[in-house]
Amino acid sequence: MTRILLSDKLDNCVARWRKAGLTVIGPVKKETFSSYATVENAAEFDLGLVMPDRSIKGLFFPQTEPMVHYSIKKQAIETRDFTPPSEKRIIFGARPCDASGLAIDDPLFGWDYKDDFWFQRRNETVIVTIACTKADDFCMCTSLKLAPDSTKGSDILLRPLQNNRGWQVEELTDRGREAFKEIADLLQDGSEPAAAVAVVPEKFNLDACVAWLQNPENFDSTFWKEISMRCIGCASCTFLCPTCHCFDFQDEGDTFTGIRRKNWDSCSFALFTMHTSGHNPRATQSARWRQRIMHKFNYFPGKFNVNSCSGCGRCSRQCPVDMGITETLQAISTLQP
Amino acid sequence: MTIQEKYKARVKELLSTGAVKMVIGYKPGSTAERRRPLFMRSPEEADQLVLDTACIANLAGYLVAEGLLSDDKRVGIFLKPDGIRSINILAAEAQLNIDQIVVLGFDIDGQEVNALEGESAGDFSALIESIKDHAPEAPRNPLIEQIEQMNPIQRFDFWQTEFSRCIKCYACRQACPMCYCRRCIVDSNQPQWINTSSHTLGNLEWNIIRAFHLSGRCVGCGNCDRACPVNIPLRLINARMGQEVLGAFDHFAGMSETQEPVLASFKKDDSETFIL
Repeated sequence: MTRILLSDKLDNCVARWRKAGLTVIGPVKKETFSSYATVENAAEFDLGLVMPDRSIKGLFFPQTEPMVHYSIKKQAIETRDFTPPSEKRIIFGARPCDASGLAIDDPLFGWDYKDDFWFQRRNETVIVTIACTKADDFCMCTSLKLAPDSTKGSDILLRPLQNNRGWQVEELTDRGREAFKEIADLLQDGSEPAAAVAVVPEKFNLDACVAWLQNPENFDSTFWKEISMRCIGCASCTFLCPTCHCFDFQDEGDTFTGIRRKNWDSCSFALFTMHTSGHNPRATQSARWRQRIMHKFNYFPGKFNVNSCSGCGRCSRQCPVDMGITETLQAISTLQP
Repeated sequence: MTIQEKYKARVKELLSTGAVKMVIGYKPGSTAERRRPLFMRSPEEADQLVLDTACIANLAGYLVAEGLLSDDKRVGIFLKPDGIRSINILAAEAQLNIDQIVVLGFDIDGQEVNALEGESAGDFSALIESIKDHAPEAPRNPLIEQIEQMNPIQRFDFWQTEFSRCIKCYACRQACPMCYCRRCIVDSNQPQWINTSSHTLGNLEWNIIRAFHLSGRCVGCGNCDRACPVNIPLRLINARMGQEVLGAFDHFAGMSETQEPVLASFKKDDSETFIL
């Protein structure tokens, strides 16, 4: 016997959560573009998407965020910190790769400095993930040792029923249990079997790739130049990535008053490492692409013991020149360590 | 012989005789519908070449990659008429020496790919002339018609909504053959000309600045539009600006390697008195 949430109860759930003061968010498709967006009722959800075009990241780490207001006076500099906005939220219909991405970034945002903006949003957001029953050509979670029904980073995991009438409910955290208390009477006991999860073929041998990347001799391999020759140096891959987390500080205003903001930044940009002198330690696009791969599969796991990739495949799916992590790691898989 | 096989043989000949050091073309991509840029430096690499109706990306931007043309050797490249216009503009703006470019011209007509006669950019001038002549009656994107029916406030709202999705990944800029600046205006911070943040104002500033910088230079290849990961219909803006420039100055971008950039040149008899 498992707890079951029927699809036709979902609208009631949304109303119940909204009444309890939660902002309800989920996959929404508007014309040609999809993202996780705030909804007022369940009809706005598009739960049939393989995944939204934009990852979940921006809901926790927005593309631009004010940090400090400053004003420079004759004798002193006055600053006023912005604080993370408090908002209780529930994300319904997250994908396992997106939820995993958040868990991957948690140690990063809490390592040498605890990022209040990230953690306040993490603590105030309930993530209800739906296991995937379909995948596309670019999905690669299994290659990252995750799965279409990974629970990592989720508070609740829903498994679609075989008869398509709803979901089996798996409560994973206290935060999830708390949110589902609100809708306890809308759930029912059932024994309907769950649908099979999506088949996501393994595309590369991760261990072999990591071994190759860890060999210092391969840092200067001609492989990097070849694989990245067509990279045009945009940040489509990094900005759609659920785990890429680099940012820059920018002051907006005039000499005397303004706002310091935290903005997404990307290792794909030449400017990312440009020194004031004009020297750029990563002078070529191949050095930048190497950095992205090394960071995700060598440096980040070296520090936090987890790969900085959850296998969503957005980098490859959206790349203007059809590059991406999949192709690079597939190619590395075939090289001698 | 199919056009693909014909061109494959041509590429092999160019590379094996040393006439060019590299040919830039297309190869299969990660799905059946996708094509990837292919850089061929040896005749064997030409075996991967694909030329079909899916080869729609304008590859001209790769020609201005740092160092590629600095040794005076020639480079071959597969170009549709829009791409040929792009290299004319790049030459007119002193970004490349057009004598170094060997054009492998092709055009897509519905489900067919046709070879274009010629080898240097100048060989296609009659073709480009006829494209210009037919530009006014060329079918326009229905969304442009729709936007033109709007009043200025509605139009502003429309673009504001579209730009609100922008994440400033600069895929539009990077994919554009005309955006070759080593330091883009948005990357300059002494002074900071435009907001770098991706908020309402910053997004609007970026997209409007880019539209102005491309006025009279855009060839409508659609690289920006296809590259945009949040699907902003960017080519509409540039198409509309191109239409404006054609009407006001009889300027059609990329006619020849010597065509003066329309918004960066002036004449004594220009009607604007503030110039001279």
